[in-house]
Amino acid sequence: MQKTKFPAVVATFVVCFAFWVLLTWSFTMQELIAGAVISLAVALFSARFFIHEKAFWFLNPLKFFSGLFYWICIFPVELVKANVNMAKICFGGCKKINPGIVKVPVDLKSDYGQAALANSITLTPGTITMETAEEDGQTYFYIHWIDVTAPSGKEAGDAIKGTLEKGLRRVWE
Amino acid sequence: MSDLLIFAIAFAVLAALSLIRLAKGPSSADRMVAGDAADTLICVALVLFSLFSGRGIYLDIALVAALFGVIDTLLVGRYLEKERGQDK
Amino acid sequence: MTALRIVIDVLIGIGAIFALAGTIGILKMPDAFSRMQASTCIPTLGTICPLLGALLYAIFFKNGDVASAVKIGVICLLILVTNPLGSHALAKGAYKAGIRPEKKMETDDLGRDLYE
Repeated sequence: MQKTKFPAVVATFVVCFAFWVLLTWSFTMQELIAGAVISLAVALFSARFFIHEKAFWFLNPLKFFSGLFYWICIFPVELVKANVNMAKICFGGCKKINPGIVKVPVDLKSDYGQAALANSITLTPGTITMETAEEDGQTYFYIHWIDVTAPSGKEAGDAIKGTLEKGLRRVWE
Repeated sequence: MSDLLIFAIAFAVLAALSLIRLAKGPSSADRMVAGDAADTLICVALVLFSLFSGRGIYLDIALVAALFGVIDTLLVGRYLEKERGQDK
Repeated sequence: MTALRIVIDVLIGIGAIFALAGTIGILKMPDAFSRMQASTCIPTLGTICPLLGALLYAIFFKNGDVASAVKIGVICLLILVTNPLGSHALAKGAYKAGIRPEKKMETDDLGRDLYE
C-alpha cells in the first residue's frame, strides 16, 4: 500500500466537496463548513486508493486541450458510427454477427491512459475489453468483438482502436 | 408539454420489455445485463418525468439510481469470477 | 421557441430509437456476450441524446433552473463513467464462470491463453 500524498488529498477533496454542493444545493455557511469537514475526512482516508500517479496532469494546457479535443471531437464520432452500426444489426434481426475474442497490443504506457482506452473501447457498442495482460513489457488487451473481420494482432488493433489510441497518446505520454 | 410525458412512458415501456429477458434469461449474466439496461432506462424516464411534473425530487432519485446502478453489476461480476464452472 | 421545441423532441426521439435498438438486441441476440454488446447502445446514445434534450428544456423553458440543469449533466456524466466498469466486470466474470455461447466462437484467444 502506497503512502498518502498531499496533491492526491487535494484532488479527492475537491471532487468530494463539489459532489456535496451538488447534492445539497444550498449555500449557507453551516452546510458548507460541514461539507468541507466531511470531505476532508473522506479525502484523508481514501486518497491513496484513488490516485496513483500525478494528480494534476491537466494543469499543463497542452495536455488539457488535447484531452478536451479527444472527449469532444474524436470519441463522439467513433461512438455515433459504432452506434449506427449496432442499431442496423439489431433492426436487421440480429443475424449478421460473428463474435470472437481477439488479442491486440497496446502502446500506451501510463496507467491513466490504459484505463481511459479500455473504458472507451468498452463504451463503444460492438467491443468490450475483457482482460489485460503483460508479456515482455508489451501490454495486451483481450477484446470481445461482435463482428470479427481481421485476425488477432496489429490489424485487429488498428480496426478497433486506431483513432482512439492516436488521440489518447497526445494526452498521456 | 405532454410530449415529455409520452417519451417518459415510452422509456418505461422499454424498461419493462427488457425485464422479459430478466425473467427468462438462461444464465445469471443475461439477467444482470437486462437489469442494468432497465436501471439506465428508468433513470432517463425519471429525468423526463421530473421535467414534465416540475418536481425536483425525481431528479435526486435519478441521480442516486445512476450512481448506485453500477454496484450490483460489479458485485455479480466479481461473484461470478470466483465461482468457476458452476454456473451454466 | 417552437424551433427549439422541435429540436428537443427530435433529440429525445433519436434517443428512444437507439434505446429500442438496444432492447431488441437484449431480447433477440443469441448469447450472453452479444447481449452485452447490444445493451451498450442504451447507456451511450440512448442516454446522451434524451439528457441533452432535457438539459436544453431545463435551461430554456424553466426560467433558467440551474440546479436541475447541473443535476442532469451530472447524471449523464455518471452513467457514462460508471457503465463501462460494470459491463467490463460482468463480461470477465461471465467468461471465467464458464458461460459460453452455444455456437462456438471462431477466434477465442482468451480461452486459448487461459486454459492451455
